[in-house]
Amino acid sequence: MKLPEWTREPLVHFLAAGVLIFVLFGLRGAEVDPASRTIEIDREQQAQIALMFERTMSRSPTDAELDAQIERFVRDEVLYREALRLGLDQGDAVVRRRMAQKMDILASSRAETASPGEALLRSWYQDHSERFASEARYSFDQLWFTEEAAARTAAGQLGSTNEWQSLGQSISLPGSADAMPRAEVADRFGSLFLENLEQLETGDQWHGPVASGLGWHLVRLSARELGEVPPFETVASDVEDDWRTSTVAARKEEAYQILRDAYRVKIDE
Amino acid sequence: MRFKRVQWLWLSGAALVLAGCSPSVSDEQRGNGEGTIELAEFPDRPYWGDTHLHTDQSIDAFGFGVRLGPEEALRFASGEELTATGGVTAKLARPLDFLVIADHSDGFNSMRTLYDAPRMLIRDETLLRWYDMMHESPEQSLRATGEIISGAAAGTLPQAMTERTGDPEALRDRWEAHLAILDRYNKPGKFTAFAGYEWTLMPSGNNLHRVVMFRDGMDRTAKVLPLDGVGDWPVERLWDHMEAYERDTGGQVLAIPHNSNLSNGLMFELTMPDGGPMTAEYARRRAAWEPVVEATQIKGDSESHPFLSPNDEFASFGDPGWDIGNLDVSLASEPQMHFGSYIREALKRGLSLEEQLGANPYAFGMIGSTDSHTAFATGDEDNFFGKHTGNEPNYEDRALVAQNLGTREGRFGWHYLAGGYAAAWARGNTRAEIFDAFKRREVYATTGPRMTVRIFGGFDFTEADWDGDWVREGYSRGVPMGGELSDRGDAPTFLISALKDPDGANLDRAQVVKGWIDASGELQERIYDVVWSDMNTRTRRSGKVPAVGDTVDRETATYTNDIGTAELRSVWTDPDYREGQRAVYYVRVLEIPTPRWTLFDAVRFGIEITEDALADAVAQERAYSSPIWLKPAPPAIMEAQ
Repeated sequence: MKLPEWTREPLVHFLAAGVLIFVLFGLRGAEVDPASRTIEIDREQQAQIALMFERTMSRSPTDAELDAQIERFVRDEVLYREALRLGLDQGDAVVRRRMAQKMDILASSRAETASPGEALLRSWYQDHSERFASEARYSFDQLWFTEEAAARTAAGQLGSTNEWQSLGQSISLPGSADAMPRAEVADRFGSLFLENLEQLETGDQWHGPVASGLGWHLVRLSARELGEVPPFETVASDVEDDWRTSTVAARKEEAYQILRDAYRVKIDE
Repeated sequence: MRFKRVQWLWLSGAALVLAGCSPSVSDEQRGNGEGTIELAEFPDRPYWGDTHLHTDQSIDAFGFGVRLGPEEALRFASGEELTATGGVTAKLARPLDFLVIADHSDGFNSMRTLYDAPRMLIRDETLLRWYDMMHESPEQSLRATGEIISGAAAGTLPQAMTERTGDPEALRDRWEAHLAILDRYNKPGKFTAFAGYEWTLMPSGNNLHRVVMFRDGMDRTAKVLPLDGVGDWPVERLWDHMEAYERDTGGQVLAIPHNSNLSNGLMFELTMPDGGPMTAEYARRRAAWEPVVEATQIKGDSESHPFLSPNDEFASFGDPGWDIGNLDVSLASEPQMHFGSYIREALKRGLSLEEQLGANPYAFGMIGSTDSHTAFATGDEDNFFGKHTGNEPNYEDRALVAQNLGTREGRFGWHYLAGGYAAAWARGNTRAEIFDAFKRREVYATTGPRMTVRIFGGFDFTEADWDGDWVREGYSRGVPMGGELSDRGDAPTFLISALKDPDGANLDRAQVVKGWIDASGELQERIYDVVWSDMNTRTRRSGKVPAVGDTVDRETATYTNDIGTAELRSVWTDPDYREGQRAVYYVRVLEIPTPRWTLFDAVRFGIEITEDALADAVAQERAYSSPIWLKPAPPAIMEAQ
């Protein structure tokens, strides 16, 4: 017999184990039955109550205070059980939503903790290699002009002088950039400049006038280093990080679908 | 009962596995970043950031509806595309370099915890009511938040919501989980994630809030808890807490006051907060712990006010609506209160206090930030995501209705600014480098655009300095913004340089704002137009530089860069210098007029905005440099000379 797909899901095993535990404790005695009329506060439970007090007040409770806390606990437990007995949890939108949320958290925390395994991460790395590539870098010289015409005039003079720096107008920008990361080029020279820079050929050739948000430039692009993708081993944790954040929504939905698939839903037309 | 325990064990087990699973974080990411990257010789460029961003860990932000946390905030600020709570997908065209997530310490992440808590475990009746309101509907959630803010202002929050009386262990868990996320996203050289929180001191609704910012990673910051702020505290309580942190951990921390414009004169008082004469000790501690003030953000601009500076035609930016009262307009503002609420006046007051006490409590630099409650650090006019999630860009009438504070009193959506950014001159992008720039006040404020503003003060700068390596000369023969000059008998000279935002509007002018104590002991101020576009044709008329013009098309919310200039530069010598004068100088740079977010909204949604709002829908965005101070030479040195 071939078992259905869902029986192989780790989540289903996880939930089944939970049900098993529930049943085991259920069979063991009356203490888990909310309808039981016996409330037992064992030593361990008392220690828990004392600890809660201590965390709040930063000191141990006195005997009287502990008694009061226990009495309060008992009071809540009595009212809680009576409420269950009367079925007050039924038809209460807040309780219903709360239970749904808890189940959702339980199911999706399983999705959160899923371990992708190296094979999966490697294929993720292959499919999304651009995300792990180091940033592109540019090495260039540039001259700046407020007017396009001035830039054209200077372009004509570039061949006849070695002191190219003196041809541009003065501005608070580096005349030369040495392997400047792409984001920094965008930040300092603006996005239009970067866009135009990406079209230029590398070499000793001056280009331009090249427009930017600041005015006009003559540009000599000596090197463009495209971002390389480092080997998987050195970025494994980034890959896992990326896989996790990129797929968490889908994995949560999958976890829900497994539960959903076990239901037959009829909606009257 | 045992069943219940097993179930919880189960859940916490799952959470543990989750924590253990998080990808490894390198040692470089964990610490303060010292020694992790190669540094420039001098601070070579401004790094851009927001030091005041709220996420779903802030009580009010959560109540307003945001469901994005610190992780989403960090991913968005560093350039990833995300979907806002309201459903609009967005990505910053230019990522930020650093971020301080400044969630309120009071009830840090408690709304989220309350929201997620099992209902039957909530004992406090008020909390229970808020819990039910939060789950009922967005409207009820907003109403619950309104009650919580009022409760915070009145000091009547349920005990369980504040750290002092709440459960410190639970707070510790939430704080550590937060710090772990920060370390994970902190990438020296690429993106800096600072630990911090907002200390929400607010006596009677008068805003004395501070953002606390740490230099360190989790190895140190996990040793403290965010200090609760709501209550009737002296501000020294915060400084004591900061001092203890530095002593116990060897780390560093600073505090950034903000929204002095909503303090009803209490932020920059001439006296101690209790009305007694200010002590030198108080002045010294204030200057030491609070080296920087946030001058501009969503809830208005605190640099200047027309009542205080009637001769400054640009003084009113970001004032309307905000100057009518304190944070929740529970107390109206009297004009006399403005003296203690605006930064220019505080810088002047600092001079006179220093003369009396020997210490200047208000010797601070300036930054801008957002104070956004959406987890999105958006500071520009064309990407305004609203003060909070109830006013994200999918709400068409957000410019017309109140965003949250003081509707009945006349504070409306259009009064809100798009928010500002902080620029830090640093040698590299690490926690240590950026923090140290704040500490030495080599930072400046902008109302959103990323213009590059650099100033040096000295005594012998000349126009010829521009031809050489003027930055090196600036550092070797003078001091950068945030620095102090010692009087030597001749007028101070400043190298002033402002470059436009390469993706933004041209510049109109750069001005020097000078405050000083005159011979009769009176505080004076003057604004000097130092350099402006088209100086040949735009000549002064009756002492004033004429307005630059206005290219904004109100029908399409567009402008052109046909007016203004890309860069402004000047060497400026103070013409009103007198020997022995105590003075403070800062630079204000104005852009040409551009549309505000309200005009973008009006065009995009095709809505009619009110006349008041329309008149305010075009503005000159600006930058404020940190000041340079001129101090009388210390007596000992005078003798030696």
